Amino acid sequence: MTAHAPAVDVHHGEHHGPPPAHQSSRVSAPVLGMFLFIASEVMLFGSFFTAYFFVRVVNPDAPGWPPEGFHVPVFVAGVNTAILVTSSFTMHWALQSIKRGNRAGLQAGLVLTLAMGLTFLLTQMLEYARVGFAPRDTAFGSVFYGLTGLHGAHVFVGLTLLTVATVRAFRGHFSPEHHHGVEIPGIYWHFVDVMWIVVYATIYLL
Amino acid sequence: MLNPLRSEAEAFRFVLLLLGYFAAIVLAKAVLGTTAALVVFVALSVAVAAWIVRARSAA
Repeated sequence: MTAHAPAVDVHHGEHHGPPPAHQSSRVSAPVLGMFLFIASEVMLFGSFFTAYFFVRVVNPDAPGWPPEGFHVPVFVAGVNTAILVTSSFTMHWALQSIKRGNRAGLQAGLVLTLAMGLTFLLTQMLEYARVGFAPRDTAFGSVFYGLTGLHGAHVFVGLTLLTVATVRAFRGHFSPEHHHGVEIPGIYWHFVDVMWIVVYATIYLL
Repeated sequence: MLNPLRSEAEAFRFVLLLLGYFAAIVLAKAVLGTTAALVVFVALSVAVAAWIVRARSAA
């Protein structure tokens, strides 16, 4: 006889392996996991915003913001913002579609979201090529590229998740009962959108 | 702490609310200036905090 009791219920034979995990939350474990991950991401972005605001307030005598010689493309980034916000609508549409059993809506919503996310990222890269300053050009250049680059990396991760969801959608995965593979990338995508609204309002507008 | 968001639908609504929040602040900055933007920021933040506290106590 071993020191540990066997995991199998030998009397009834109903359950094999360890007992099922207790779930006290109303949120499913995968969704809760994504929310906890996003909480850690908020802290990461918070550290970058702290650096940005430190640079901004440490020189209260500076004549303006951004510093002289730096011009950020407010209009182009504004159009990019509209594209990213719209992609949240299409993402939401995709999930609502599969919840109603509408596979064509799911596929169209995911493809549109993917296309708009890709457009955002390509426009961001073009902006970097034409903005006229580099990360090494004073602290402003560093925090500008740091914050927008951090966000761009998150867009890339979001696009990777969306690509997987899109391929699965076209292979016939997901149903009105089982759609975590769309819902969880969707939550991440909305987070990426939220962070961009904060980044755009802070760096480009205020 | 209770997670204020429960699903993708609530995350989506949060995007829209945040858009309105920042739009009001930026509009105040553009039309009335930095001090007005600060006032709007504080007023909206207090309103949101009060709404969260009331919602939690009602639950």
